[in-house]
Amino acid sequence: MKKKFLAGFLALFTVCYAGAQKVEFEEYDLDNGLHVILHQDNSAPVITTSVMYHVGGKDRKEGRTGFAHFFEHLLFEGTENIEKGEWDKLVSSHGGSGNAYTSQDVTYYYESFPSNNLELALWMESERMLHPVIKQEGVDTQNEVVKEEKRMRYDNSPYGQLLPVVSKALFSEHPYKDPNVGYMEDLDAATLEEFKEYFEKYYAPNNAVLVIAGDIDLSRTKELVEDYFGPIPRGAEVQRNYPLEDPIEQQINLKTYDPNIQVPALITAYRTPGQQSKDSYVLNMISRYLSGGRSSKLYKKLVDEQKQALQVGAFNLEQEDYGMYIVFSLPLGDTPLETLEQEIEEEVSKLRTELISEKDYQKLQNQFENSFVNSNSSVEGIANNLANYYMLYGDTNLINSQLEIYRNITREDIRDVAIKYLLPRQKAVIEYLPENNQ
Amino acid sequence: MKNIFFTLIALLSITTLQAQVDRTVVPQPGPAPEINLKSPTSFELPNGLKVLIIEDHKLPRVSYSLTLDNPPIAEGEKTGVSTLTSRMLGQGTQTISKDDFNEEVDFLGARISIGVNSAFATGLSRYSDRILELMSDAAINPNFKPEYFEDEKKKLIEGLKTSEKDVSQISNTVSNALAYGKAHPKGEFVTEESVNRVALNDVIDFYQDQFAPSKAYLVVVGDVEYEAIKKKITDAFSTWKKASPLSLTYSKPSDAQYRQINFVDMPNAVQSEIKVQNLVELKMSDPDYFPVILANYILGGGSAGRLFKTLREEKGYTYGAYSSIGNDKYNPSLFRAGASVRNEVTDSAVIAFLEEIDNFIEKEVSNEELRTAKAKYTGNFVMALEDSETMANLALNIEVNDLSKDFYRTYLEQIDAVTREDISRVAKKYLNPGQMRIVVVGKGSEVIPDLEKLSYKGRNIPIFYYDKKANKTDKPEFGSDVPEGVTIGTVLNNYIQAVGGKAKLEDVASVFMTAKASMQGMNLDLEIKKAQGKFLVDTKMQGNSLSKQVFTGDSAFVISQGRKQALPKERVEEMRKTAMPFPELEWLDSDQVSLEGISKIGERDAYVVKVSDNQNYYYDVETGLKLREESTVKMGQQTMLQQSNLSDYQDVKGVMFPFKMTQTVGPQEIEMNVVYVKINEGISDSDFQ
Repeated sequence: MKKKFLAGFLALFTVCYAGAQKVEFEEYDLDNGLHVILHQDNSAPVITTSVMYHVGGKDRKEGRTGFAHFFEHLLFEGTENIEKGEWDKLVSSHGGSGNAYTSQDVTYYYESFPSNNLELALWMESERMLHPVIKQEGVDTQNEVVKEEKRMRYDNSPYGQLLPVVSKALFSEHPYKDPNVGYMEDLDAATLEEFKEYFEKYYAPNNAVLVIAGDIDLSRTKELVEDYFGPIPRGAEVQRNYPLEDPIEQQINLKTYDPNIQVPALITAYRTPGQQSKDSYVLNMISRYLSGGRSSKLYKKLVDEQKQALQVGAFNLEQEDYGMYIVFSLPLGDTPLETLEQEIEEEVSKLRTELISEKDYQKLQNQFENSFVNSNSSVEGIANNLANYYMLYGDTNLINSQLEIYRNITREDIRDVAIKYLLPRQKAVIEYLPENNQ
Repeated sequence: MKNIFFTLIALLSITTLQAQVDRTVVPQPGPAPEINLKSPTSFELPNGLKVLIIEDHKLPRVSYSLTLDNPPIAEGEKTGVSTLTSRMLGQGTQTISKDDFNEEVDFLGARISIGVNSAFATGLSRYSDRILELMSDAAINPNFKPEYFEDEKKKLIEGLKTSEKDVSQISNTVSNALAYGKAHPKGEFVTEESVNRVALNDVIDFYQDQFAPSKAYLVVVGDVEYEAIKKKITDAFSTWKKASPLSLTYSKPSDAQYRQINFVDMPNAVQSEIKVQNLVELKMSDPDYFPVILANYILGGGSAGRLFKTLREEKGYTYGAYSSIGNDKYNPSLFRAGASVRNEVTDSAVIAFLEEIDNFIEKEVSNEELRTAKAKYTGNFVMALEDSETMANLALNIEVNDLSKDFYRTYLEQIDAVTREDISRVAKKYLNPGQMRIVVVGKGSEVIPDLEKLSYKGRNIPIFYYDKKANKTDKPEFGSDVPEGVTIGTVLNNYIQAVGGKAKLEDVASVFMTAKASMQGMNLDLEIKKAQGKFLVDTKMQGNSLSKQVFTGDSAFVISQGRKQALPKERVEEMRKTAMPFPELEWLDSDQVSLEGISKIGERDAYVVKVSDNQNYYYDVETGLKLREESTVKMGQQTMLQQSNLSDYQDVKGVMFPFKMTQTVGPQEIEMNVVYVKINEGISDSDFQ
């Protein structure tokens, strides 16, 4: 374990920081523009190989939503050298496991294996990047599967419409307005040609980062990376100029109905800045302050003391261009949603007018330190963090230094950010109500 | 920002560019990595608490996990007492108020949760001592305040409401209740009524009976030093009074008598939740454990499993289809295969499950499948050892599941030793397709018509209906689909008209019918006689009477193999109804039958007429003819659905009779073909004695 910290930094945080492990890594670009990050940790015979593509739900044309998520499925359908249906078998039969996820901003594919399968993992991910098979047959199957996924996650599950509804309320121009999974009619209407074009546009090496973490030998790994990924041709640079949103100047009030619920919910939501901004970090702290743990302001007041809410949670959904700050609450008994709204606003308004206490501030620092220590506890987690910090924050080393940013946030910053983003006129208030059966 | 290595790496990579790889060949794995299985150090307190410690100094954190290996307890009419007890725990201690407790836990950046069977705490190692103190204090010296109790009760009830329309939640509840029975610890579930029956004293008693150290294990993992933490743990847990948890017995669940669909109607469902299940008896310490986990993996353990391949990748019915086989040292557990599928394919998905399961039992798995399964388990095992908490849990498993000390040291060898024959053997032993329950929770109005028609391998699958609390119910009615102007009277009249008209039917004093049937390869001859409220069915094989059922007008009996046996009251009443050649004539002037709606019989729409609480008749909307007579009958503990489908109506002296009758009772189906029908001849009073 190495401890190479700046002297001043060390002096400030000796006590808290002394034990945290530094994540060593190397990063470089291949000639085709593929960014490569290597993290060596030989303590257990495990490796994770992952590719994050800079393509997500927001990367689409009007009328063709949901493509990135659709590709998350499609790119398991096989490649020129891996037949349809073989992908999962290859992973399993080598003792590995893998999966993928898609956000509005990125798509992440990964596999973890016992470390003697490094070459296999690189071969598979390079196959996927070089020449996946995109055929009508696969499109048709995955179209059905995606619809089932949507039904399961959104249409058949209580409060499943929360995110789509909030997105629609907070955005009217930017592609974040539409659900990540897309509209089913858009996917039905899409042609095979359009899917192929989409792949050409977004899945080139210069729009991706390859991470290899775990029990590896650095120089051997670099050779293999070059062998498998070097020959993949560079693509055209991706241009993004998504429309900006006008500031929300007047409170938005909405009602929405869900047939899968019995207890209504109140949602207040604010549009916040992109995740690279320091203000987004401050909003993460505000979320913890309001609802992280039983002693947090909203939990203690609404659930514990006043017994008005069954549940209350605040979270800052970080995204590349804009974030969403969402406060979700379920009333207890006959508490009107209006009361919940007032009670929540009262706590938020205190943030705007008063400084939080020194003790609460120290509590937040302890909580963030605990999360930070736990965030790099597995090879799989480290790989994901490295990819994220590189692609979405533009600074891979945040994996070691992110806690510094939280350390540098002051109580005044918290107040100022609340004033800047959490004003009543900037919020959307959504009454999420049960829909009675016909 | 680029790291200083950048230029160096760029240089290095140039030198390796010329290496070529053959992309058409799957790269071979290198030599298998060595695994390093850490063993915890352990000690035991005089009160029985066993402590397992694994030091891991990689990160400055610690976790404490307390497990009480108590036998499961049925909570009965107070189901919810354990949930409430768990919720009352961790609300401060006898000396620290709830607010102070919560404040301190959060201040330390720690997490502490305490339940009646377990407790868990984690946080930064520099606070490890205090976190341990808070956890043990809250667990051993709980703060059972009446005021908190009322709050928790209210929240629990409100919480039940949030999932009342949750299709997957209902599916879990009902399928467990049907599998184990509602009185079994694994089948019972919390309801508003049962929560309301719980008082604070019940919680206190439950805690005192259950929260005992004699079967308790504390697992500590992280940045701690053995000697120091041993002392702290001894201090923190020595005041825990020596005691053993209560252990009770309850009846053993059993599978359904035959394969059946158990349906729960949820009008809000946009997908059906399907679970296909039977009970299994399996412990981790059984020799079958390894073949079973591999077998399940091949069938439906993941995205490489057969169920996933068929139901998702080939057919696109679902986002995922999986199976599992549980193990439990105290109780039976379940084989269960399931998926959430869209409404339209519910029936096809049920068939796909049954086919995959049968196929799995009948045909030996391929070498490749077995190899893949072994590789998967080997890889998972190797990779899991990255995590010290996992290693600690393996050690705990050995204790709790009575495994041999070298269970995990020989784990990979035991996986490797499993053969294809082993897989076949355990597939036959643990999967029981003939008695599987197919629990379907979905939108009845869209799903039931197809499910009712469902036949598998030529046999109808009987369907029974349940409500969201696993109580048997009638088939749900989907309402106002009966057209304007149609009443019970018009339905009966149309039928009477269709089979010959009122005048002709009233002239029928007796009916004598003979029919041929085949059942399980035997050819049977039937004689059916009906006259003046009396009724007889004689079943013969090669001229000899097998059984003779007689209704004399006021009593009923069966003569079988020379023995005469009276029939129970309910059967008598049923036979009274069917004794009339055309009971519809009588019903015209009575209000004992009612029109219930329209339902599908095969491709035909039919009016449903409720004849009695357990009897429905179905009449073709278009032709007026009777298509089905249906009744639920009790046979011992089981309730079965009995159906007679009527078709091939033929004219006998101006009256139409069905010449084909297909009867299903449970899984059995008998087809009867009428040879002739005689009206007002061939019957004497002595026939009914």
